[in-house]
Amino acid sequence: MENWTGRERTQLDAILDQLIPANRDRNIPAAGELGIADFLTAEANQNSDLCAAVSALLAKAAKLEGGTSPDVVRQLEAALPREFKKLLIATYKGYYSRPDMRACFGVGEHPVHPEGYGVPPEPPEVIAELTAPVRARGPFYRDPAR
Amino acid sequence: MANEPVDVLIIGAGASGAAIAWSLLETRMRILCLEQGAHLSDQDFPSRREDYELARYAEFSCDPNVRQLKQDYPINSQDSCITPVNWNGVGGSTINFLGHWPRMKPSDFRTRTLDGVGEDWPVDYHTLAPFYDINDQNTGVSGLGGNPGYPEYTPPLPPIPIGKLGQTLAKGFNEMGWHWWPSDVSILSQDRDGRQKCVNAGTCDLGCAAGAKGGTNFTYWPMLESAGVELRTECRVREIQVDENTGFAKGVLYHGPDGQLHEQKAELVVVACNGVGTPRLLLNSSSKLFPDGLANRSGMVGKNLMFHPLTGVVGVFDEPMKGHEGPMACSILSQEFYESDPSRGFVRGYGLHSGRSTTPMTYALGGYGIDNPIPWGAEHREIMDNVYPYLAGLTVVSEDLPEEHNRVTLDPELTDSDGIPAPKITYRLGENTRKMLKHGEERATELLLAAGARRILGKSDDKVWWRAGWHQMGTCRMGDNPETSVVNGWGRSHDVKNLFIVDGSIFVTAGAVNPTSTIQALALYIGDSIKTNIETLFD
Ligand SMILES: Cc1cc2nc3c(=O)[nH]c(=O)nc-3n(C[C@H](O)[C@H](O)[C@H](O)COP(=O)(O)OP(=O)(O)OC[C@H]3O[C@@H](n4cnc5c(N)ncnc54)[C@H](O)[C@@H]3O)c2cc1C
Ligand code: SF4
Repeated sequence: MENWTGRERTQLDAILDQLIPANRDRNIPAAGELGIADFLTAEANQNSDLCAAVSALLAKAAKLEGGTSPDVVRQLEAALPREFKKLLIATYKGYYSRPDMRACFGVGEHPVHPEGYGVPPEPPEVIAELTAPVRARGPFYRDPAR
Repeated sequence: MANEPVDVLIIGAGASGAAIAWSLLETRMRILCLEQGAHLSDQDFPSRREDYELARYAEFSCDPNVRQLKQDYPINSQDSCITPVNWNGVGGSTINFLGHWPRMKPSDFRTRTLDGVGEDWPVDYHTLAPFYDINDQNTGVSGLGGNPGYPEYTPPLPPIPIGKLGQTLAKGFNEMGWHWWPSDVSILSQDRDGRQKCVNAGTCDLGCAAGAKGGTNFTYWPMLESAGVELRTECRVREIQVDENTGFAKGVLYHGPDGQLHEQKAELVVVACNGVGTPRLLLNSSSKLFPDGLANRSGMVGKNLMFHPLTGVVGVFDEPMKGHEGPMACSILSQEFYESDPSRGFVRGYGLHSGRSTTPMTYALGGYGIDNPIPWGAEHREIMDNVYPYLAGLTVVSEDLPEEHNRVTLDPELTDSDGIPAPKITYRLGENTRKMLKHGEERATELLLAAGARRILGKSDDKVWWRAGWHQMGTCRMGDNPETSVVNGWGRSHDVKNLFIVDGSIFVTAGAVNPTSTIQALALYIGDSIKTNIETLFD
């Protein structure tokens, strides 16, 4: 079972913070600080490809100088593009499957069924007014039978 | 193991299998349907979970090669720019379809006569119109009557809300003077027959936990099962067998839930496995009489595969568009560029469909059916905060022309979990389609700007969507000539007189609209023709 701990975990958190950085003005946390590494660990234990990809990226990152700046993450991406894409996809999945993160973008926190969203139907007169110019053009199709 | 013979054996419990079973109910024949998947239970709908979006990339992906569930068969799409997507189970692909419900137009049935391409159908719009109406009633279709793009008809229920996004785009269409209309949808705008109206959840591809969407798991199958149609699930048909003396289909061999091979005899066999599953089954059913596949003396089984290749253009608006609120695919539809116009440099045409935007995860991963994550880092922040909530888009859905080299064959190595050879897709985009998509992208851009978009998001390549193989048509086409078609004008095989095909594979051309309302109208029409011709059915 994979469980990135200690230095590896710190490094993984730092990379994740670069992938999805925070928006401090709107209180939106970065991916590392939100704990998305836990999601990745759980996923990696079901998915050996992802596990190998993250481990390879961490090994490479340990050899790169300059902390975990955007430049360093870009170097990682260039050196191990396939592994990097796997990590990126899994990070987006972990981050945006969090109901509280969805809500930051105007999407409901709740499971969408049974509640859904209240969208009022347009009154018939609004639709009639909107469609009036289309109706005014008259029939708009070819009918070989007529 | 052998079972008691039945009168009618239907293979596949999707859109078309359910519709023809309903039509044949009144004959009081003994009807059995064999379906390789199972019923979807209420707990299986991911939209009741907090992390519902994850299912879209796993067990509820539209792509069987991603899902890899027991009932799925793999599809080799390496030689195609589009991969077929589906659902295998009671309801078929209407489980995860999006419920957009436009009819084909009168000209779609006469493309050879009108435009010199494709072939004319042996049926026409006006013959099918009453069957569209019956099916709309059975399914519960919402929409607005009086669309000048069609001969007059009125859907049984009022339209679903077009929402802020639909209204914004509609104003743009009016500004340009172009046709548009609220989409017909097989989605309830009002409670009906014990089914709940749509709650605008926006996850129609994850099944509809409300029962509002017109999947046959909610519409036809409850009626059929209570009327005595036997539905045997987790039963995968391996081959259709023929009697060597009579040349008639005598029944099938299928793998049951126990994995064992069972025999089922029937007087009449109806294939409803969709545009990929049906040619696969016929090609897997070769025999001494039919060495190239059952009912394939024309050589047309598997050929002329058509999709609706599509592309999309997205605009960024000043106000949030709330694109995730409401059914995924349907708000409004423009058919301004549907009919042929020689000045455009291509024949036939396309529709502009308003696409609602998706939920944040799906957007971040590239959009529905696309595996191309958006940038990371500062750019990611900018896109998610300042672009994503403000999006409205148009999808260009083009008419594919039938071309013999686009086809379904059997893969020499790949098999499903029962060891049955899997389908292989060979498909490339035609030049006409390419021109059409480019024209569509340009018009969609103009429209979004007219509707108030402050910026258009460019596409980085000229590729069509990989997982756009939602509509699979043409691989066992209808026709009057047995040398160039597989079934006649009412779905009966030219070669095997008690074998019928009722799914999208019998389409002659594709039109540029989602096909399911036409697939089901055709299945009802074929059922009606069987009843009308019952005395001389096998002559
Ligand atoms: C994601 C998605 C979105 C879509 N959106 C729309 C839309 O908005 N509007 C629209 O009109 N259409 C849409 N479609 C297409 C629509 O779902 C299909 O056109 C329609 O379901 C096809 O009906 P059918 O009867 O031909 O096949 P299906 O509904 O696919 O049914 C075929 C059935 O046959 C079964 N089967 C296959 N082989 C065997 C076998 N050997 N033995 C036993 N059973 C077998 C399968 O398990 C399946 O249940 C969409 C499809 C998808 C996947
Ligand atoms: S949006 Fe409507 S049709 Fe779609 S899944 Fe939700 S309730 Fe069903």
